[in-house]
Amino acid sequence: MDESELLPIRNFLAEIAPFNELPSELLEECCRSLSIGYYSKMSGAVPLSSENPMLYIVRSGAFEVRNAEGELVDRLGAGDYFGFPSLMSGESISNKVLILEDGLVYHLTLALFDKLRAGSRAFDRFFNRAYAKRLRHQDAQHQRELLTANRISSLMVMAPVSVDHHTPVSDAAKLMRQHRVSSALVVNNQQLVGILTDRDLRNRVLAEELGGHVPVSQAMTSAPVTIDANALVFEAMLQMSQHNIHHLPVLDNGQPVGMVTSTDIIRSQSSQPILLIGEIERQQDVASLIHVSKQIPLLLQNLISADARAEEIGRILTSVTDALTRRLIQLNQALLGEPPIAFCWLAFGSQGRQDQMACSDQDNGLLLAEEPDSSATAYFDALTHAVCSGLNDCGYVFCPGDIMAQNPAWRMSLENWQQKFSNWVNTPDPKALMHASIFFDMRCVFGPAPLFAALQDKVLADTQDNDIFLAALTGNALSESPPLGFFRQFVLERDGSEEKGIDLKHRGSVLINDIARVYALSSGLKEVNTAKRIRVLIANGILTRKDGLNLADALEFIAHMRLANQGRQYENREALSNYLRPQALSSLMRHQLRDAFKVVHDAQAALKLKFMRSF
Amino acid sequence: MSLWQQLSLAWRAQGASPLLREYYQSLRPLLQQSLADVPLIAIDMEMTGLNPQQNQIISVGLVPLTQRQLPLAMAAHQLVGISGSVGQSAIIHGIVDRHLQEQSLEQQQLLPWLLRQVMGKLMIFHHAPLDLAFLSTLMQRTNGTSMRFPVVDTLQIERRRLLRECHILPQGCLRLGACRQRYHLPVYAAHNALMDAIACGELFLAQTASINPDVAVAEFLWWP
Repeated sequence: MDESELLPIRNFLAEIAPFNELPSELLEECCRSLSIGYYSKMSGAVPLSSENPMLYIVRSGAFEVRNAEGELVDRLGAGDYFGFPSLMSGESISNKVLILEDGLVYHLTLALFDKLRAGSRAFDRFFNRAYAKRLRHQDAQHQRELLTANRISSLMVMAPVSVDHHTPVSDAAKLMRQHRVSSALVVNNQQLVGILTDRDLRNRVLAEELGGHVPVSQAMTSAPVTIDANALVFEAMLQMSQHNIHHLPVLDNGQPVGMVTSTDIIRSQSSQPILLIGEIERQQDVASLIHVSKQIPLLLQNLISADARAEEIGRILTSVTDALTRRLIQLNQALLGEPPIAFCWLAFGSQGRQDQMACSDQDNGLLLAEEPDSSATAYFDALTHAVCSGLNDCGYVFCPGDIMAQNPAWRMSLENWQQKFSNWVNTPDPKALMHASIFFDMRCVFGPAPLFAALQDKVLADTQDNDIFLAALTGNALSESPPLGFFRQFVLERDGSEEKGIDLKHRGSVLINDIARVYALSSGLKEVNTAKRIRVLIANGILTRKDGLNLADALEFIAHMRLANQGRQYENREALSNYLRPQALSSLMRHQLRDAFKVVHDAQAALKLKFMRSF
Repeated sequence: MSLWQQLSLAWRAQGASPLLREYYQSLRPLLQQSLADVPLIAIDMEMTGLNPQQNQIISVGLVPLTQRQLPLAMAAHQLVGISGSVGQSAIIHGIVDRHLQEQSLEQQQLLPWLLRQVMGKLMIFHHAPLDLAFLSTLMQRTNGTSMRFPVVDTLQIERRRLLRECHILPQGCLRLGACRQRYHLPVYAAHNALMDAIACGELFLAQTASINPDVAVAEFLWWP
C-alpha cells in the first residue's frame, strides 16, 4: 500500500492532537495498523476488555465516560479518545463508556500505542497530561471555576502599600517611592479610611505649600470608592470610568486586601468594552453618540470570539446600553434644563435582567417622585421622546409593544406604579400577566436609588408568598415547553433534511428566566439577573444545590449556543436570529443541548409542583 | 434453504477451477454461522467503465471483517494491468497508465490472487451485481467456466430497510455515500478501491450494529 490509499483516515488523524505531532512515517504506520469498529446506541456500552486494552479514537458519534459510581467523567465526540487510562496505568478498566449516539471508532493496540509514545515525546506528553487531567477530574468533579480569570482578585496587587492615617506625608511619599507605586491605602485600626495618590500629594500638599509633616489624613481622599474582591474586572473598569478615578482599593469582607489601578486593567484587557463606555461618556451631542454606538455589534463579535461566558457578555452589553441611556438622559437634560421633579429611568426585560444580546429592542419606563403638573408632564414628555428615539437611532429599536418611557402609560408617579403592580398581583389575569411579566424584571438605570427602592420594596412585599399570583405566574411560565420532542424527531429523521430550527430564545432562555422570576418574586428577592437570581436561590436554600447548578449550567449553555450561532450568522453576513439549525451542531453538542433542555423541562415540572398544587 | 444452498454449491463446483472449487468448499461451513462469528471480507473494484464486456478491472481493494472489526493491517490494494489505456476513467479513480505499469498483476493473475485472499470468507460488496459481472466475465475469458457464489450486498440490505419505511425511494439514495450519511459515517472524499472497500465494510458494520449478533449470516446473503 502506498501512502495515498488511506488518505481520508490519515487526514483525519493528522488534524487531531497529538497525532498531528507524529513524524509522517509513524503516522503512516498508525493508519495501516488501525482496526475500525462501529458501536450502536442499542448495545448500550462499548465492551472494554481488560485483557486486551486499546486506545479508542472516536471518529464519529458521541460517547460518555462514567466512573464505577456512575458519575459523569467525560463526554466525547469526534477526535476524542478513551481507553488510555488503563493503557497507561496497566490497571484493569473501571470506567464505563456509554454510547450516546452510534459512532465509528478506530482502535489502536497497546503495542503500537507504546511505540508511538516512545517515538514521539509530544505524543507521550499529551496522553500523560490527559491521564493526569482525567485523574483530577474524577477527584474534584464538582468544583467549578466560575469566572476566576476575570475576577478582580486575579489581577490586583496583593498586600498593597498602606500607611496609618497619622503618618506624615513625607514618610508616605518615601514608602511609595521605595515600592515604586503611585498610590497607598490609608488605614485607621485596619479599617480603610482613605487613599493617597501622587495627585493628592501634588494638589493637596505641594500646591497648598504645606510641608512634609502634615498627616496623611489631611492630604488623602477620604472614603474612597472601593470594589469587592469577587467583582468582575469589567465592573472595576466601570467604577473607575463612572467616577473618573484610576485607583480602586479592593475589599474582602470589608478588609482592605489589595489595590487595582487602571494600568493593571488596561494591561490585562485587550478587548474594549470599557473604552467604548468611556467614549460614550465623553460624547457631547446625540449625533456623535449614535456614531459611537455603531461599534456595539463589533464589540459583541469580539466578545464572542474571545469565548467570553454568555453571562458576562450579557452584563457587558447591558452596561453599554446603560451608559448610552444615561448619556442620552444627561445630554437631553442639558438641553431641556433641570428636571422639575426627581425621577428614575427604569429598564425592563433583558436590559433589566442584564442579559442583552444582539438585536435587543428597548423596554423602559419612567418613575416620577410625585404626581407631575402640566408643565412637568410636558418636560418629561419631551425628555423621554428624545431619549427613546436616541436609543432607537443607536440600534435599540422602538419596543413593538410600546413599553417605553415615551408612552404616557409607562410614565407614572411612584403611587401610580405601585397601584399598577398591585393590580397585576391582586387580579392576575393570565393574558395580562403574559405581557406584564417583563415589568417584574426591572432595574433603575438613572435616578435616585431610594425612589426606586420604594417601588421595588412595595412590589416584592405584594408578591412574596402570594399564592394566587404565583400560581398564575407559574401558569404563564409553563405556557411554552423546551423542544425535547424535536430531538426525538431528529433522531428518527437521520437524513437531517429537517429545515426548521430550534428557537433558542423563546424555548430556552426565556423559559429559564420565567422560572427564576417566579422563585425570586415568591421569596422577595431584589436581584433581577437570572444567573444571580439562581445563585441567591441556591444560597437561600430555595433551590437545591444540584437543581440550581444544573439550571445555571443550562442557562449558560443555551445562551452560549445562541451567541455562537449569532457569531456564525454575523460572519456569514446572514440576518441575526435565535434559530439554530440542527445541522450546524456536532452530535456531541446536540447531546449537551438536549440535556440542557431536559433540565429546563424538569425545572418546569418542579415549579408546577411547588406553585400550582392547589389549582 | 441453507441445505439447498450447500447442494447447489457442490453442483456448481463441477467444472470449476481447483482454486474456485476450494473457495466454494470453504464457504460451506460459513453459511450456518452467526453474524458475530462469520469471517467476511469487504471488496471494491475500480473499472475503466461500467460494461463488463468492454471495460476492464484496474484495481481491487479489500479489507477483512472479523469479530465485528476491520483490521487495516490485513487490508490490501491491488492494481491490475489492462490492455490499452485507462482513458477518461482516470478522472474518477485517479489511476493513470503509469501506475498500472508498476507493481500490477496481469488480468489472468487477478482471479487466482483474489480467490486466495477471500478463501474462507464471505465477500461483501456495495452493489454486488456489477462487481460480480466483471469477475464472472473475467472467469469466462480466462477459464471458460462460469462462477456464482453467495455474497453480502450492502446496497440490497439498505434497499430492504428503506422499503420497509417508505415505498418510493428517492433517486441516488442507495449510493454508498448516501447510505453512509444515514449512519453518520464520515465522508471519504477519495475514490480508490481500498477506501471504498473500507467504506463498504463500515457501512455493513453500521447496518448490522443494532441487530442481534446471533442471527445467521444466511439472512444477509444474496445469490447472483
